[in-house]
Amino acid sequence: MSEKLNFIVIDDSKLDCFIAEKVIQNSGRSETVKSFMVATEALDYITSNSSSDTKTVVLVDIQMPVMNGFEFIEAYEEKVPEEARNKYLVNLLSSSINETDMIRAKGYKSVNKFLNKPLTKDTLDVILASA
Amino acid sequence: MSKPEKIKVLYVDDEANNLVGFKATFRLDYNVFVANSADEGIEMLEKNPDIKVILCDQRMPGKTGVQFYEEIASRYPAPVRMLLTGYTDIESVINAINRGHIYRYIPKPWQETDIRSAIEEGYKYYVTNSMLNVKNVELQKAYDELDKFAYSVTHDMRGPILSVLGAIEIAKNSDDVPEIKEILEMMEKSIQRVDDFIQNMHEYYNLKRGELQIKEIDFNEIIKELQELYDVGAKVSNTSFQIELNQQDIFRTDVLSLKIILNNLLSNAFKYQRKDIDSKFVKLEIIVGSGSVTIYVRDNGIGIDQAHINDIFNMFYRATSQSVGSGFGLYNVKDALRKLNGEIQVKSQPGEGTEFKVEIPNK
Repeated sequence: MSEKLNFIVIDDSKLDCFIAEKVIQNSGRSETVKSFMVATEALDYITSNSSSDTKTVVLVDIQMPVMNGFEFIEAYEEKVPEEARNKYLVNLLSSSINETDMIRAKGYKSVNKFLNKPLTKDTLDVILASA
Repeated sequence: MSKPEKIKVLYVDDEANNLVGFKATFRLDYNVFVANSADEGIEMLEKNPDIKVILCDQRMPGKTGVQFYEEIASRYPAPVRMLLTGYTDIESVINAINRGHIYRYIPKPWQETDIRSAIEEGYKYYVTNSMLNVKNVELQKAYDELDKFAYSVTHDMRGPILSVLGAIEIAKNSDDVPEIKEILEMMEKSIQRVDDFIQNMHEYYNLKRGELQIKEIDFNEIIKELQELYDVGAKVSNTSFQIELNQQDIFRTDVLSLKIILNNLLSNAFKYQRKDIDSKFVKLEIIVGSGSVTIYVRDNGIGIDQAHINDIFNMFYRATSQSVGSGFGLYNVKDALRKLNGEIQVKSQPGEGTEFKVEIPNK
């Protein structure tokens, strides 16, 4: 139950990264937390970092410039082999109350949860319960 | 005053006599094109896609009139189509009318008055239809924009507010004063972003709904305002702000639109600086010639990737995660320029800087 996890936060807002880091650290479940403000950098990190076997929870914001959350998921599914994807638990976070986004999110097999912002202890618990 | 343009009418018939007679009767009132087969009719349409009314004989060797209309229906949906035929062909006429290929059927042999009234009414139908199409396209555009707008409002306005709410939650549980101060600073930026967005939205509606107020522009006054607006920020961020004005002539335009253009370009130039260099600059050059003004806004900031350069004027598009853009600014610039019949060009090199060149004609 209290197995330690790695966390990756992807959000173009510095404040949202900070909030996520705090909430994650306070949960006591984190081995590491890494934040990325640009999704492409997070993808590079994931593709080049396959050594660790620790389960990793990824939190991705949907609306980001350059590469948005959906584009990230698509690139992730394309570039990371299925076997390697097993240790990642990718979750989408959004501040828009948008049906279309929710339906679209459900269409990706690698998306674990679609959740509304802000990230709180309760939201994180929902994710951790599925980890 | 120029005469209204003559209606372009195409007449297709395999009997040469009919074609000659038709042309002789109507050439003064209409711009008449004739063809003696369906294939020739298609050729005629290719060369003159702005033909408004087509009359075609049903009984022709090769393709019939109905077949001709079926063939052109998808490629040339706009012209109004009429079929000329004797009573014996009534079955095929009913078919064609029911399938929507034909606006009217005219019995043969035709009377001049029948044809004339058919063309006049058909043309009216054509005009109404094409006006409806234009309106539909406009309406669709407005709907699309509204959709985007609603989506973005929830994100761009709600996003920063949710961030602040999340931050408050953390600050409440923290006893670490420096940390709380750090959180407060980030909250301030978030709130600033909402405020920017609301201001941009206000500009957007001013542009959409507002009437242009054309008057003589006092560039010295505008420059003074811009200096007041940006000098403090320039000093804080250690960016030099240089303005050059070269005015040969008086210039008239809508001052609000002009200010929206200048403000958005300048605030972008200040916003997207490279943080790690010492010689940061923003240069504004205004050249007022006879008949138009040319404005350059140059900076040595982060620049824009070629992959994004065509999208930067789209609503809510943001090409970078550096700084807090609303994705509204350049859209407003383009909208303002559209109203003033102006033009904008952008040259940029990532990591070196950006130059916007704006040209606005004198009103």
